[in-house]
Amino acid sequence: MSSYAIIAEELRKSFNGFEAVRGVSFKVRYGEVYGFLGPNGAGKTTTLSMLTTMIKPSGGRGIVAGYDVVENPVEVRKRIGVVFQDPTVDRDLTAWQNMMIHASIYGIPRSDAEKRARELLEFVELDKFAHKPLRSYSGGMIRRFEIARALLAEPEVVFMDEPTIGLDPQARAKVWEVIQELKRQGVTVFLTTHYMDEADRLCDRIAVIDHGRIIAEGAPDELKSRVGGDTVYLRAIDSDSAKKLLALVSEYGEAKLAADNVTVVLVASNAPSKIPQIISSAERAGVKIVEARYNRPSLDDVFLLLTGRRLRDEEGDWRIWGRLVRSRLGR
Amino acid sequence: MSRELATVDEGLRGSSRVYSPGFSSALLAMAYRQVARFLVARSRMANAVIMPVMWLVFFGLGWSAAFSTLRGVERALFGGLEYLEFLAPGIVIMSVFMAGFGSGLGVIWDREFGYLKEVLVSPAPRQALILGRLVGDSVVALVQGLLMAVLVSLVAGWPGTARFLAALAAAYVAALASSSIGTFIALSMRSPEGFHVVINLIMMPMLFISGAFYPIEPLPEWLKALAYINPLYYAVDLSRGLMYGVHSTPLTLDAIGLLAVSAAFIALVVAKFSKTYLA
Ligand SMILES: Nc1ncnc2c1ncn2[C@@H]1O[C@H](COP(=O)(O)OP(=O)(O)OP(=O)(O)O)[C@@H](O)[C@H]1O
Ligand SMILES: [Mg+2]
Repeated sequence: MSSYAIIAEELRKSFNGFEAVRGVSFKVRYGEVYGFLGPNGAGKTTTLSMLTTMIKPSGGRGIVAGYDVVENPVEVRKRIGVVFQDPTVDRDLTAWQNMMIHASIYGIPRSDAEKRARELLEFVELDKFAHKPLRSYSGGMIRRFEIARALLAEPEVVFMDEPTIGLDPQARAKVWEVIQELKRQGVTVFLTTHYMDEADRLCDRIAVIDHGRIIAEGAPDELKSRVGGDTVYLRAIDSDSAKKLLALVSEYGEAKLAADNVTVVLVASNAPSKIPQIISSAERAGVKIVEARYNRPSLDDVFLLLTGRRLRDEEGDWRIWGRLVRSRLGR
Repeated sequence: MSRELATVDEGLRGSSRVYSPGFSSALLAMAYRQVARFLVARSRMANAVIMPVMWLVFFGLGWSAAFSTLRGVERALFGGLEYLEFLAPGIVIMSVFMAGFGSGLGVIWDREFGYLKEVLVSPAPRQALILGRLVGDSVVALVQGLLMAVLVSLVAGWPGTARFLAALAAAYVAALASSSIGTFIALSMRSPEGFHVVINLIMMPMLFISGAFYPIEPLPEWLKALAYINPLYYAVDLSRGLMYGVHSTPLTLDAIGLLAVSAAFIALVVAKFSKTYLA
């Protein structure tokens, strides 16, 4: 029998009749990094709030670290560390003061707490700022501080709600590094995100959530394989040769001329082995290819496949590419 | 079911360390936080001291000068005290009350700035967390009361160390009562604006019919009745009795009234906070 750090069974939550979470079920094994990927308003925070005992489910059940979140919230709280979506620090106090208060309300003995707080602040590279008030911290520093604080009581399960939102690339990379280190140490991590690269990079398994429901679940590669293949971009020298090229490559998969009239877009499995074949057959036909590249499918493509919408619509206007290729853009 | 799972987990994963927060460490941590915040936000101290000082100077000295023209009548009006002596304990209670009541605002800011979540998601007993906050807030209020007490004693006349300390003890109970009243109101409010409205609607009338500025005996019955349900009245009467030996209600009754109000509001605050869920 296996053992789960988190079990959600048909969890639901309504706010004044509005169903924010509509029956969500999933299981997270100990030591796993599990991601909730979904757009704004999908119900990520609401689910996390129920699992962290902050709001009462309207229905269903949640079991975290072996305890029911409604019947035994205190036992759950003893075993989890939480980084909420919005900051939850006392900005008037220093990082160290915030840490020590946290230690006391979690019952960590003073000497343990000081030692661990020092280590953790060093781990997130804030040791030099430990005695500065948090109001002098940047957003990325606050985030790192909150992650360190969430680890102070050595939780079995760590919840992080959009841990990298609004951070610059360096700060994001640092947070990723911390999560990867947690994974190495065998800590279970539940994180929410709407960055697909983040989910892809960090998570062992992902649940794609939309309108309060899980619409797909699996390892990132499993999910991406649902999309069906890689997208190959082949640029010809002019529109005439592009048309010839289009006719030529149709046998390898679905192909289409892009809006610039000189690029052929092809969806095919195993692009790395097909590209050389295409190039040599094009040469034989006297068509010159000036550029060839391909993209692997992204989680965004998965989302699009499942919902007909992109995770983040603001990333360029994809409609010009037509139905076939619309899922391969925007990276 | 959850029990079973827990046992299975322990069997599979060995004993991982699980900390258990104690009541007193959580209480002390929250009390410490309020004091630490006060020490970095000196403007709050200035705020709570400036108002009573203005009352003392512009109201107290003004009326004191006016009353002193009625030689003899002044002492008859104020139970044998000069007006400044009469006013002094009231000013101390006023500063303690304003500081304590206003500390309720912190509850609203904590909700607004998210710190409430950090507290609610911790395994510490909710009662300990909120009691610690009340202790911290009332200590902070008392520090401000102490400053005012020294100041008014210098202006109105030093009552003697024992009397001074006794009055300060009464001021502490008043601080506890006002912190819990302010916190109780704040726990049911969402916006700082709303709390400011309450401050203006409740705090001012409470101060005026507390007997801090004038004796309440000559008042019409209905106003007197209001005074007798005003916890501040008991606080002012008690501290005036302890400081200068003049009071209109038996001191034990004052003390019981004040303690009862504090206990009632502390109980209300604890009950309300223990039930707090975010939604
Ligand atoms: N306290 C609340 N009262 C009423 N509606 C709420 C409340 N909390 C969330 N909602 C609604 O429930 C839905 C899900 O919200 P939730 O915060 O869980 O989304 P999310 O996936 O975390 O989104 P985001 O990426 O923006 O954080 C939203 O439509 C939101 O407006
Ligand atoms: Mg959210």
